[in-house]
Amino acid sequence: MEIRESELPSIGRKFQMTNEQGEKIVIVVHDDGRREIYHFDHSSPDESISMVTLTDEEARQIAFIVGGLLYKPKMLENIDMALGDLVIEWYKLEAGSKCAGHTIGELDIRRKSGATVIAVVGKGNAKQINPGPDYVLGEDSTIVVMGERKQIIEFKQIIRNGCD
Amino acid sequence: MEHIVFEIGLAIGLIALGGLVSSRLRFSVIPFYILIGMAVGPHAFHWGAFDLRFIHSAELIDVMGRIGVLFLLFYLGLEFSVGRLLKSGKSIAVGGTIYIAINFTLGILFGWVSGFPLEEILVIAGITTISSSAIVAKVLVDLKRTANPETEMILGIIMFEDVFLAVYLSILSGLILSGSTSVGGVALSALISLGFMLVVLFVGRKAVPLLNKYLNIKSNEVFLLVIFAALFIIAGFSEKLHVAEAIGALLVGLVLAETQHRKRIENLIIPFRDFFGAIFFFGFGLTIDPTTLFTKETIWLSLGAVVVTLLGNFVAGMLAGRSAGLTPKSSTNIGLTIVSRGEFSIIVANLGKAGGLLAVLQPFAALYVLILAILGPLLTKETKLVYKALNKIFKWDVPKRSVPEQ
Repeated sequence: MEIRESELPSIGRKFQMTNEQGEKIVIVVHDDGRREIYHFDHSSPDESISMVTLTDEEARQIAFIVGGLLYKPKMLENIDMALGDLVIEWYKLEAGSKCAGHTIGELDIRRKSGATVIAVVGKGNAKQINPGPDYVLGEDSTIVVMGERKQIIEFKQIIRNGCD
Repeated sequence: MEHIVFEIGLAIGLIALGGLVSSRLRFSVIPFYILIGMAVGPHAFHWGAFDLRFIHSAELIDVMGRIGVLFLLFYLGLEFSVGRLLKSGKSIAVGGTIYIAINFTLGILFGWVSGFPLEEILVIAGITTISSSAIVAKVLVDLKRTANPETEMILGIIMFEDVFLAVYLSILSGLILSGSTSVGGVALSALISLGFMLVVLFVGRKAVPLLNKYLNIKSNEVFLLVIFAALFIIAGFSEKLHVAEAIGALLVGLVLAETQHRKRIENLIIPFRDFFGAIFFFGFGLTIDPTTLFTKETIWLSLGAVVVTLLGNFVAGMLAGRSAGLTPKSSTNIGLTIVSRGEFSIIVANLGKAGGLLAVLQPFAALYVLILAILGPLLTKETKLVYKALNKIFKWDVPKRSVPEQ
């Protein structure tokens, strides 16, 4: 698919593309962070038939879904058969999370969920690869966790509720 | 001078009120600032400290308005980039040239037919040629037209108009402000302004790496002070050379636009531009006696100019759009979007005031901008109706597959 990029002075940037079905999609990234996605029918290239406006955050979330980062289409799964449904996820501890200040061992992540913490990215991008059970999780740190899909879900549950 | 702060407060209060009303009505703020300025002024009532004549503060408001023009032009320069213009492509260059050629010629003809002297004709042509970038960009975003195929052309034409405005203002200010009467004197002063522009731009371009380095100032406060110092000193110095101070401000903007600090300057400057700009429009209204607005001369002149502008912009939009391979429908949108007039027309009119030209120019500009700042966005919204009506006459839309955009 060919993507045409053009500048809209004082507004932002415009990306135009036509998909296999001949529908035209136009994405406008505004300088203030908003994104607009327009949909044009091939029969009337002058006027969009529908559009949505997204905030910066919404746009990022949708990009994850569209990009297949949250859920891989079944059709593509056999490509990385060897991995099975092994997933690596980045999980950010929210500010004020009760788990901040606890060690990985205290949370007992591996025994309870089966997932393994393979790295933690702390404040100021301080990385700890393969942290031991004594590693203290800081506020705002991002936990990189590997496991099967249901183990990951289990892990998230521990982080959310396990520290009360 | 005892009530000066209170008077300024009143003025800002009125401006804020105008802004509130306009955003309620979903119209551009500029005509409302001017209207509210006209509504008060020397003819208005006063009661103790509650003085709506703004006599004591007139001078201060005038200075703040001048600063407003500096910020408006400085921002225009910042937003503008030569690289962007060169990248914009042939179709936009053709479209922009068509627009300026048609509308500037019409403006000159209109002023000439109305029987004005040369300098007034040039000011009138300037007022009628230049669209309001602010209104056009806002309307495009509000009407969700940014994705339409004609949007690049519209913004491209606006960019062309900005370049034209810069060159034109510098020549015009040399002409009007120098006060020379002989052809040689006029040519000399125009040459001085152009020369000054070229020198500043050339030196500025060479200085970009240095500016990048020395503007690397951590503290926002000091950074702002340095930028403002450059802005005011260069703008003030241009005035010494009889180049409008606004052009000096524009030049500073153009030079700083090429540095890495452009975004930071933009973010810091916007509140100042909005505040002092609003006071400029208010102050412009303040100098106009509303009774002169409704004299036969002003009304006919403004209506005539509005008709000429509508026709000129529509034809130019059509030609520009068609030459770029857009459909008649998209081309209709171009002309009907760029008819909005606003800040730049008032700045040109203000130059006429500074040069002591015929007083009718100010109420004319005010009425003309009032009409087109309100009518323009309405026309933009209703392009479909206009297109349908015109399509009955011209039969553009024969049922075939429409021409794809280039």
